Amino acid sequence: MNAAYEFVVGPLAWIAGAIFVLGSIYRLVSMYALAVKKDYSSLPYMDLKYSLRSIIHWLNPFGTAGWKASPWTAAVTFIFHICLIITPLFLLGHAVLLETFHGIEWPTISDGLADGLTMLVIAGCIFFIIRRATVDKLKYITSGMDWFVIFLVLATFLTGFAAYHQWLNYQFILILHILAGEAMLASIPFTRLSHMIFWVFIRGYMGSEFGKVRHAKDW
Amino acid sequence: MKKQLSVILLLAAAVLLYLAPAYSQEDMTQLLDPAFTTHQRPAAVFNHDGHNEKAEIEDCSVCHHVYEGERKVMDDSSEGTPCSECHAVDAEEGTPLRMAYHRMCTDCHTAKGKGPVTCGECHVDK
Ligand code: HEC
Ligand code: HEC
Ligand code: HEC
Ligand code: HEC
Repeated sequence: MNAAYEFVVGPLAWIAGAIFVLGSIYRLVSMYALAVKKDYSSLPYMDLKYSLRSIIHWLNPFGTAGWKASPWTAAVTFIFHICLIITPLFLLGHAVLLETFHGIEWPTISDGLADGLTMLVIAGCIFFIIRRATVDKLKYITSGMDWFVIFLVLATFLTGFAAYHQWLNYQFILILHILAGEAMLASIPFTRLSHMIFWVFIRGYMGSEFGKVRHAKDW
Repeated sequence: MKKQLSVILLLAAAVLLYLAPAYSQEDMTQLLDPAFTTHQRPAAVFNHDGHNEKAEIEDCSVCHHVYEGERKVMDDSSEGTPCSECHAVDAEEGTPLRMAYHRMCTDCHTAKGKGPVTCGECHVDK
């Protein structure tokens, strides 16, 4: 078990991190190249002011007609994403690893708070699963990929929760948790999770198109 | 009733205080360093003498070390001096306390391929 653990926190973590960083750069560069090739005329219309105007409106859960039309989905979406990012980034367990391996001091939230945020992420996953399975409009556009990423996030947080509480076989669950987390990180550039790197540009594009070209709001 | 209870509690406290100095590394089964003002994790299991016997560590200075500048002094040891005396919890220079414990314990376990390396194996929930 020690050897398996040391492999997943050591070399495999570097590999997952490298795939995430290099993969993201590759996807951004190739997307830009594609835009130049296929839709060159729209590039000059990209506009910082209109981009930011759209991004800021969509970052406000009450700021767009889209959010207001489904307030529950908007609420869950915002809470889910905030917890999803804050929890792993400031988790004590992750910070202690960073400190022990690399001597890096990193701010943390308390384990109690992290526990609560984790439960919110898990609840959010269940909400999204039920929504995709029951809302006809969504069922129609849902692919295997969408299910894959939801269950990957769910698996990562469920195993993290179980490991923290030392349920079942602790070491086995912990190794599963690390593997799931690394799979999630490495799959960001190449799955639906790529909205993490693309959303700013997509929103910026829409905002510029609507603001500068059509003189209309996109929120 | 209330008075009786407080007398018992006082007696119990006195007994504990009397016993405290008699506590030594032989009786040590766990580490819960009071230098940390709050404890976020359960105490770390560490049966002082049993551990060192099983791990075959005879030289106390492997853990109770003494440094001169950057270098470890080979033939001196610091048992009896708490780690926290030289490793402050939020030391700006050198190795802060939490890092000191974790590096000392897990570095050896990793090198030996034996002994706990994951959080929950040391900080066991009771
Ligand atoms: C594997 C590491 C390790 C080795 C080897 C080791 N100790 Fe310790 N010892 C500790 C730790 C950790 C503490 C707790 C220090 C603290 O509280 O700051 C401790 C505490 C002590 C204490 C203080 C006990 C108390 O009640 O506070 C004494 C005395 C002691 N050790 C003696 C020894 C002697 C003698 C040897 C060699 C035969 C030895 N130790 C070897 C890790 C070790
Ligand atoms: C008498 C003072 C003193 C005591 C007591 C002491 N240390 Fe140290 N320790 C030092 C000094 C000095 C250094 C070198 C500077 C630094 O890294 O802080 C050091 C270095 C270390 C390092 C870093 C070694 C490396 O190779 O990077 C670790 C880990 C460590 N100590 C753990 C402990 C633990 C655990 C205890 C208690 C069992 C302890 N120390 C007790 C003085 C002490
Ligand atoms: C110099 C090497 C070394 C250091 C330093 C060391 N250990 Fe160990 N430890 C071992 C070895 C070797 C084993 C495996 C013993 C066996 O099972 O044969 C072990 C086993 C253990 C175990 C398993 C149960 C037991 O007692 O056998 C625990 C718990 C443990 N270590 C805790 C600690 C803690 C806490 C520290 C830091 C204060 C520490 N160790 C520092 C070498 C070390
Ligand atoms: C080899 C045993 C060992 C392992 C593995 C280990 N620790 Fe520790 N840890 C200790 C010891 C010993 C101390 C100092 C004694 C104490 O708990 O006060 C300590 C102290 C701490 C402290 C500071 C005291 C507190 O409770 O707030 C935190 C936080 C902590 N560990 C978290 C972790 C986390 C998170 C992990 C996994 C990434 C981890 N530890 C892995 C042995 C270990």
